[in-house]
Amino acid sequence: MRKMSQPLRRDFLYGLGSSLGSVAFSALLADAAQANKTSPAKQQPHFPEAKAKHCIFLYMEGGPSHIDTFDPKPKLKQLHLKEFQRAGQEQSAMSSGTRYYVQSPFQFAKHGKSGADMCHLWENLAGVADELCFYRGCQVESVNHPTANYHVNTGNQFGGDPSIGAWVNYGLGTENDDLPGFIVLPELAYPQGGSANWSNGFLSTAFQGTPLRSQGSPILDIEPPRGITRDHQRKNLDFLQMLNHEHLAAHPQHDELVARMKNYELAFRMQMEVPKTLQIDDESQATLDRYGVGVEPTDNFGRRCLLARKLVEKGVRFVQVYASTWDSHDYLAKAHGALIPKVDQPIAALIQDLRERGLLDETLIVWMGEFGRTPDNGIRGGGQAYGRDHNPDAMTIWMAGGGCNAGHTIGATDETGATAIENVHHLRDFHVTMLRLLGLDDNKLTYFHAGRFKQLSQFGGKAIDDLIA
Amino acid sequence: MKIRSYLAMNFFPVTWKPLPQAWATTALAVITLLFAMWPAIASAAKPSEGEKIFALQVRPILQEKCFGCHSHEADEQQGGFDLSTRKNMLLGGDAYGDSVVTPGDAESSLLLAMVAREERGYEMPPKEADRLSDMEVQAIQDWINADAPWPNEATVNEIYAKFAEGETVTTSGGQSEQWTDRKYQPSDLWAFQPIRTEFSVNLSGSRENPRPGENPRPGGNPVDIFIKAGLEQQDLSAAPIADRVELIRRATFDLIGLPPTPQEIRQFVDDRRSDEVAFAALVDRLLESPHYGEHWARHWLDVVRYADSSGFANDWERPNAWRYRDYVIRAFNDDKPFDLFILEQIAGDEIYDLVTASKKARQKARNIHRLVDRVDSDELLVAAGFLRMGPWEHTGMSVAKVTRQQFLDDITDSVGQVFLGQPLQCCRCHDHKFDPIPTRDYYSIQSVFATTQFADRETEWLADENRSGMKHDEIYHRRRYQANEAMMLEIAKLQREFEANWFTERKLPYKTKAEAVAAGVDSDLLPHKSLQAPDDFGRERIGRKWQARFEWELDRYQPFAFSVYNGKTPPARMQTSRFVMPANPKGRGTWEQTCILPGGDPFAKGELVQPGVLSAVPGGLDYEIPVATSGRRTALAKWIVDPQNTLTARVLANRIWSYHFGRGIAGTPNNFGATGKKPTHPELLDWLAGQMVRGGWSAKNLHRWIMNSNTYLRSAQHPNLDKIRESDPNLTSYAVFLPRRLEAEEIRDSMLSVSGELNLTLGGIPVRPDMNLEAALQPRMIMGTFAPAYVPNPLPKDRNRRSIYAHRIRGHRLPFMETFNQPGSEKSCELRDQSNITPQVFALLNGEETNDRALALANRVITQQSQPGQQLDRVQVINRLFKLVYGRQPNDQELRRTLEHWAEMSERHTKVDLPRREWPTEVIREAVEENTGEPFKFTERLFVYDDYEPDLQPHQVDAVTRGLAEVCLALLNSNEFIYVY
Repeated sequence: MRKMSQPLRRDFLYGLGSSLGSVAFSALLADAAQANKTSPAKQQPHFPEAKAKHCIFLYMEGGPSHIDTFDPKPKLKQLHLKEFQRAGQEQSAMSSGTRYYVQSPFQFAKHGKSGADMCHLWENLAGVADELCFYRGCQVESVNHPTANYHVNTGNQFGGDPSIGAWVNYGLGTENDDLPGFIVLPELAYPQGGSANWSNGFLSTAFQGTPLRSQGSPILDIEPPRGITRDHQRKNLDFLQMLNHEHLAAHPQHDELVARMKNYELAFRMQMEVPKTLQIDDESQATLDRYGVGVEPTDNFGRRCLLARKLVEKGVRFVQVYASTWDSHDYLAKAHGALIPKVDQPIAALIQDLRERGLLDETLIVWMGEFGRTPDNGIRGGGQAYGRDHNPDAMTIWMAGGGCNAGHTIGATDETGATAIENVHHLRDFHVTMLRLLGLDDNKLTYFHAGRFKQLSQFGGKAIDDLIA
Repeated sequence: MKIRSYLAMNFFPVTWKPLPQAWATTALAVITLLFAMWPAIASAAKPSEGEKIFALQVRPILQEKCFGCHSHEADEQQGGFDLSTRKNMLLGGDAYGDSVVTPGDAESSLLLAMVAREERGYEMPPKEADRLSDMEVQAIQDWINADAPWPNEATVNEIYAKFAEGETVTTSGGQSEQWTDRKYQPSDLWAFQPIRTEFSVNLSGSRENPRPGENPRPGGNPVDIFIKAGLEQQDLSAAPIADRVELIRRATFDLIGLPPTPQEIRQFVDDRRSDEVAFAALVDRLLESPHYGEHWARHWLDVVRYADSSGFANDWERPNAWRYRDYVIRAFNDDKPFDLFILEQIAGDEIYDLVTASKKARQKARNIHRLVDRVDSDELLVAAGFLRMGPWEHTGMSVAKVTRQQFLDDITDSVGQVFLGQPLQCCRCHDHKFDPIPTRDYYSIQSVFATTQFADRETEWLADENRSGMKHDEIYHRRRYQANEAMMLEIAKLQREFEANWFTERKLPYKTKAEAVAAGVDSDLLPHKSLQAPDDFGRERIGRKWQARFEWELDRYQPFAFSVYNGKTPPARMQTSRFVMPANPKGRGTWEQTCILPGGDPFAKGELVQPGVLSAVPGGLDYEIPVATSGRRTALAKWIVDPQNTLTARVLANRIWSYHFGRGIAGTPNNFGATGKKPTHPELLDWLAGQMVRGGWSAKNLHRWIMNSNTYLRSAQHPNLDKIRESDPNLTSYAVFLPRRLEAEEIRDSMLSVSGELNLTLGGIPVRPDMNLEAALQPRMIMGTFAPAYVPNPLPKDRNRRSIYAHRIRGHRLPFMETFNQPGSEKSCELRDQSNITPQVFALLNGEETNDRALALANRVITQQSQPGQQLDRVQVINRLFKLVYGRQPNDQELRRTLEHWAEMSERHTKVDLPRREWPTEVIREAVEENTGEPFKFTERLFVYDDYEPDLQPHQVDAVTRGLAEVCLALLNSNEFIYVY
């Protein structure tokens, strides 16, 4: 739509945000209290008693196996390599043919006072077991990666709707006018489905997730062309603003002109400040070691977990961190065996670090993938190579901090892990629960679009009370 | 309202009630038993006030907003509370027991506090968006105070029929009688009313049809007459006519999406005819430009969600989709009557079948398509590509019924939004909540597509299609293809060696696995993949996937049409190559029987339906669609374009209007239903719709009517804007013209245009402009592996084409376009957003594309103004620059400052060392290999960069030119360049 007057201020705050006033980015970082608050203004949550103000969403892309991480199935030991019995539904090519039950290659033990189940590879996470709230009752709809990713991220399998991070920012507003409220820390490769996974959908572009690329420029084109200095660019900018002032004088009724001029000033400040914000060099060696920064296999994910903590400290509402390739159709023992140690230490460090800084209560951590995996597999290449296929009917999600029901395991799957059987909820109810923990009511967090009030859960859902402390 | 006085009671905690009240409720419960029997004796002939309130107001609220959770219909009854009968209502629920409703005493009835949203934690209905209006709350209060009578179903219906306000609409019938008989506010039904032919304003003396260069008659343009009536009503004055430089810029961008050249501006400004006459001539010139079609096709492609790839997991290319894009461009350029344009997109293949079958059939085709003899029949197959524009794929993990249903739902909703202004997806699961569209109609329309099947059909090249770049493009594609093939051969060799060794080591008499299996060896005993190194596993997987992709993409150079045919639904297959048209479309597969799917579930089975159309549209109920395999879509299209259809012409007229003014007369061009925005000028919309039909469904005719109005010519500045904003805060009166920001493609095309680099060739296979290199090489996951990198065309002339020709990959969009609000291709975009966001600054100030354009522009101007042996006239350079970019001369201050800045920057550039840019000829991918869980590396060759010719680079010009390029960069970033007035 064309605008002439009163452009929405939040329009400027896409990506790296905006403060229309003269507040410098760095000044705000130093003293958020003095921030000249602009839209998307901080708003009252629907549930003022909710503890969580931020969310760190650890997205295990590809669909980690619940059976081989947090939901042990001893029964599969007996059934190992016995023929799989299935219900007679229409099948995809993936799940057709003769299939066999397969056991987990990993050993399980109970940890913490709560007796949380974890496979032996979670060496560090075991130390914070009592901070976690496991949920085994969630079911999703899609068994294809991109549609399942869209479903988890936006509530809509086909994409195009706002992602949960966008909704949360729409509902809670920003705590830091000069940083985007929704930051995504993807792997070098974007997940299947691409940037629609952090889309603003029909909400203002201001609420779109800003991916900070893990290599090269954190934000595309944030740096001037090589050889162009800051001083040089400043001169150019002054000249540009002279032109803009002349134009403004001739078009005094067009308010957007001023907004666009200010946007240039903001961008100029940001291109210096943003890279600074993203540096983790100022962290102590002990902290770097704790997250496993600088050593393999933890460096990549550890770096991003540490950055997530820093961003949350600076008032970013929603940080999503991706860890990819959990899609272990074959060689599960090797593949999951390599993946878990990459994330185990960084996640445990993140929880401990937030706890020590007194931020765990107000930060909801969610760990999940787009679906769980099957107890069975078509045997490919003998017993050594087996893996598991996609399973929408059972998965494990866990949460920590943010007022979740830590120290409990909620819901259960059947004896082979094929399907959830206790405290079973559709994904939409988990979405509602996440929002509730963040103080938002899915039924109030709506936006009128294409003829109806849209919401994250699509058609409404209910919070899963057992997941809330 | 009365309920306020009641609210004090809520200070008592929910679980604790003071004794006296408990007593009172028990006493009342006895009385309510009597009441429960009482309604039976009521009669609809003389209903009581309470009964009327119930039947007319309360019952519909309960039905719409409560029964979903509080009746036997609910999936899971909430709070143990059933509101579907009086008896159960009085029993109450878990939380409040029988104090929920106390007949005769609204103040003691907690239901009232809940619906008034005063009872914390029990605000009902739970969704804020569903909250009851004050009037609805009042109705519930009045009803309870009137003893909460609950007449039986028949009586309710009688009362409703007799006393309810509003209109009933005859439809094919809903899933309940109540829905079928419900009444609508007439204002919500505007789009279902016949298009007006008589108006409240006097149009006599106004022009019948504008002709090029014609002087308006005294009566003026009807567009102005309608708008003026509105202005007078609001006592507003209109802004004056904009100046000519503004007007030519406005009209040129609106019609062709490019800036006017300095020469065109001069001609128009110097045109001595009146503003109206000169402008009409300008409009005619622009409408004849072949670039008109490019610009307006882009609007249409937004609506139909055009892309060159399938989206989702594999994001396969659709190598022949571009032919549909070019078809749309030609349709606009030729001013193809819109009814035929619609017909061809929905049923082109059916008409093709008739045209090519026999003489007799061709005669039949003429009756359907009056101009069919002038159409190249092959083009009809291309046009039907519309039906497949949505994202879609079927992978090894897809269930056939689900993906088929996805297509059917997608096309049903698309047809609704695109042509009828009715999003139909609501009706997938239930009768429409607000509009007279039963779920039956949804499935009836869906049934029209039950025989529609995908095919990439062999279709001869058309005379008008541009095939010039194909050979060159194919060279690079083949290099990729061959490199991949070579890699696969190498891996096959490794596998052979491995297997041979494996058997030798074990002293077994085989050389290969295949041999061993043939000899009866259990394959589980044999090595799994015959590869060892993670690199080899990873490369094998990439090679395999890419082979299929590259193979399929070769179709781009082959005459296939991205199209459909009619027949049985064939067994689904994992799609890795083109859809081949079966020799016998009625051979393999199943005949689809469309039935209502309760809850939209593809595995559910409801009542069978016949093909049909929207029954609420006058004539729709009786409209017959054949059930034969072929002809269903033709019949649907004929109904859509029937002049009696109250939706289509309005939808089209509104779309055209909205692109001229940045907003529709009806504010939601895809939604003319009760929840859409009502037309601000309904009579004008109807007049335009009528004009659309009378003018032979000509879009150009409508452009002329709209643009040759004073309404369109108005200035964006108003002498008294404060007054306008006061009475017309949303600026819907058209008292002043609303400026707009250039759209993403317009920005890029304009930069190329003023820099002199734009290649204006029409049509052809997609081109690949430069993409920010980091984004281009960004690894991107497709199913099971990486997608090949984005590589631009090697030659500037191919890269620097208009943006509509840029390759549209759903999963890998040009960041520049995305940043400037180009919509994604998932959902239909009725009008683009124009947000003002920070990354736009980065893209425009730091991005390579803009910097390249600025340099080319500087070089262009300096070269043009250079005379051999003479010193460069710097003032002339700046004058020329301003004329190219802004269409005007600089003022004195601008001239002075610009000269200064140029000088300063030139000085700087004698010292600045801009490193030469380099382009990579390969990119290395690293990932964890799924089979081994170990990292692997893969090197992708980027053959295009072997021959890549960059645009003009800084080191190729002197410091003076580079200094001017800084000036140019600022101009291209400036507001004056980016906004149109």
